[in-house]
Amino acid sequence: MSATVVGQSVPRLAGRDLVTGRAVYTADMRWPGMLYARTKRSDYAHALIKRIEVEEAARLPGVAAVLTAEDIPGENSMGIIIMDHQLLARERVRYRGENLALVVGDKEVLDEALELIRVEYEPLPVVLDPLEALAEGAPRIHERGNLTWECHLVKGDVEAAFARCDVVVEGTYRTGFQEHAYLEPEAVVAVPEAGGRVTIYCGCQTPFHIRSIVARALGVPFTSVRVVQATTGGSFGGKDEVDAEMGALAALAALRTGRPVMINHTREEAVMGASVRHAAIIRHRTGATRDGRILARDVDVVLDGGAYSSLSPFVAVKALAHSAGPYDVPNVRARVRVAYTNKTYAGACRGFGVPQVTFAAERQMDELARELGMDRMELRLKNAVRVGSSTAFGQVLRAGVGLEETIRQAAAVAGWKERRAGTGSGGRVRRGIGMACMMQGVSNGAEGVDAVGAFCQLAPDGSVLVGCGLADMGQGANTVFAQIASQILGVPLERVRVRAVDTDHTPDSGPTVASRATTMGGRAVAMAAEKARDKVVEMAASMLEVAPADLDLRDGMVVVKDAPDRAVPLAQVVNALYWTGQPINFEAWSKAPDARFDEQTHQGDIYVEFGYGTHVMEVEVDTETGKVTILRHVAAHDVGKAINRQAVEGQIEGGSLMGIGLGLLEEIKYDERGNLLNPNFTDYLVPTSADAPDTEPVIVEDPGAWGPFGAKGVGEFPVSAAAAALANAVSDALGVPVRQLPVSPEYVLDLLSSQGQEPRA
Amino acid sequence: MSGAGDRVWLNMVVNGRPVQVSVRPDARLIDVLRDDLGLTGTKEGCSRGECGACTVLLDGEAVNSCLVLALKAEGREVLTIEGLARDGQLHPLQEAFLRHGAVQCGYCTPGMILAAKALLDRHPHPTREEIRRGLSGNLCRCTGYKKIVDAVEEVARGGVRP
Repeated sequence: MSATVVGQSVPRLAGRDLVTGRAVYTADMRWPGMLYARTKRSDYAHALIKRIEVEEAARLPGVAAVLTAEDIPGENSMGIIIMDHQLLARERVRYRGENLALVVGDKEVLDEALELIRVEYEPLPVVLDPLEALAEGAPRIHERGNLTWECHLVKGDVEAAFARCDVVVEGTYRTGFQEHAYLEPEAVVAVPEAGGRVTIYCGCQTPFHIRSIVARALGVPFTSVRVVQATTGGSFGGKDEVDAEMGALAALAALRTGRPVMINHTREEAVMGASVRHAAIIRHRTGATRDGRILARDVDVVLDGGAYSSLSPFVAVKALAHSAGPYDVPNVRARVRVAYTNKTYAGACRGFGVPQVTFAAERQMDELARELGMDRMELRLKNAVRVGSSTAFGQVLRAGVGLEETIRQAAAVAGWKERRAGTGSGGRVRRGIGMACMMQGVSNGAEGVDAVGAFCQLAPDGSVLVGCGLADMGQGANTVFAQIASQILGVPLERVRVRAVDTDHTPDSGPTVASRATTMGGRAVAMAAEKARDKVVEMAASMLEVAPADLDLRDGMVVVKDAPDRAVPLAQVVNALYWTGQPINFEAWSKAPDARFDEQTHQGDIYVEFGYGTHVMEVEVDTETGKVTILRHVAAHDVGKAINRQAVEGQIEGGSLMGIGLGLLEEIKYDERGNLLNPNFTDYLVPTSADAPDTEPVIVEDPGAWGPFGAKGVGEFPVSAAAAALANAVSDALGVPVRQLPVSPEYVLDLLSSQGQEPRA
Repeated sequence: MSGAGDRVWLNMVVNGRPVQVSVRPDARLIDVLRDDLGLTGTKEGCSRGECGACTVLLDGEAVNSCLVLALKAEGREVLTIEGLARDGQLHPLQEAFLRHGAVQCGYCTPGMILAAKALLDRHPHPTREEIRRGLSGNLCRCTGYKKIVDAVEEVARGGVRP
């Protein structure tokens, strides 16, 4: 095929709407007769609810309705595996900010109405420390106790292996809660439709899950509910359950009032009333032979899951599976426990447990290298997974393992060999350089079946419409889908359109998570486009009186390969199909091999594909102020095939900065009563353009076997490696091991004052 | 001159056109733009003037419209993102943002582009560092800022036809 659109940098589809302000996000929608709604939230982190009085609020002029748990006709519950979270709390609240009631009416009166709602609480003891929560005798947050989830991984025999090791390093590492901080706070609009149906518009990444929660709450068939994904202002794992919660409440209000109802969160509600990244405490032990061969890793993880289970079971398993880092370690033992605490619930956040365990694993690599007197890059190269390696969960990597290439390229671009000496020297400002590697499974893995549906509709003028069950939440999935269809059908990109996800029209393909959009979604789109191509070629062959194999599709034409002047416009072929009664809409279903693993040991084949990356970061630390400045950042990622180069760079650059935020600036804080102290950007420090380095993305392409054109995905992966590289660079600068994130100025100064009292590592 | 009830008239020029709106005295500029004038290109991200998503130009100066009382715009010129393109022709910043991949989810984009315009109107040839500092009042969670800075730098260099 001639000039390919796959592999180029292509501007974002429908980008013009975004730069002109024409794009409509949910909170921009205006429906005739639309009402607004807002929730009354609990004042306590843990309390029984004795009484909720709403009569006065309901009488306020401008208020159309006030709903409590009593008004939910169906299931007052939500969750992923364990439905332990109520849409509106009835008897008990378990975190500050939990929803109690919904006020519906004119936008201007909502705040006043909320003030008129009186709640009588009986405070209960607040449990905030996850280790205390798991200890004997802790106040129970849920009937079943405070252990949200537990899972184990056993590969080989770690104790026997440790006995054979020449060097063993051990450490405890901590990471804090991170907030997604998408610029668009969550918003939903519920619109009553004919026949008792209701449509939910929202920026989201899991429309089918939202549909099920809404339908269950309303007590109606799933197909009475339609969820349409609106232009989404970022999600990063966050616009999932909270959208289901808001959607259900808005739908209840819409059906009660007969009018469209919008709920849009303030920034405080977005932080406090929606999921966050799990905080983690990780004990990690690594043993190796004198020449640097890692024989054993023993990892014990406690995740702080907050008040409700949300996606904790899945985060736990993903953290478990990735706890040994991207290395071929023959003996691994790992345990992950998630604890309930009286804080905002933790759920999916870009990386999904992998950033936390990667930080610990990569700090251990550096600490091990120091003990061995070995170069940190050499140690990583020695143990890095390659084709034929077996992961911590015993899956043999069969093809497209580009980790080593990312190590070499990142090191070469960053000048690792030249720079790594001369770090950690004295003086007020100290320089350091750090490296970190990561790998992460793509596809739903242990979370369930991974199957995606897509369609490719040909129009009589030769233009194409693509639909897929996976969502573009800003990352550029739709543009990638368009490129794939354009390439396969030879239709110019300008004549390809991609429709939004809509539960009425696009097939249920599960959640758009796990960095699966390009790999899994793109594959389904490619399959649909191939089906369309086959039909086109068959018809054109008969029109041109050649064999199908003699034909090529390009520039909107079907061309005879050896005689390019013999061609027919694609439009003509589509017309011919239509007028001979043949279908011109093509659907495809791409199902990945099922994950098969032992539930007790988590040994087996779990992921269909993997992404790999290596970051190198140079920092400067001011030892008087504790401030860390990033001097240089190189981020190499093996993505299999970069379908849209510019978009891949954007994911590397943006994902890295989220990892830098986790590593340096961001942490949700609570006081001793469970009040979230920094629910807005004044005190929750999202990196600004002044904080961000000029990340240098390096794209490595070691094709995978599953994804379209060998693509493997990238969305989440830069987060882990950036945070870990930063920690390693600071450790190198100070000559003291970093053991917690974020590396705040206070923590840096603590590290410096403890220098000499702790063993150097 | 007052309107009905406790409202007052607000006269301003928005995107080159004079408008007259009846507003409450405590109305924020962002609400008047989005709700009264239907200009929803200006976004609300934090309501505290921290994220910059609500950035508009008030007499050429970048302001957080979530913090500006609407009446402060009396007799003044407001430029929102909708006013940047002329006769369907994108402004060089809009073109550059698209071409460089500086737009992902797009929510920060209207405010970011206007902040960049205000920066370049004041400092036509900023260094990369100055661009970063000049845009530091506008948060972006998707891009990592690099391609945004690339786009602004290119426009500053005059690489795009004005």
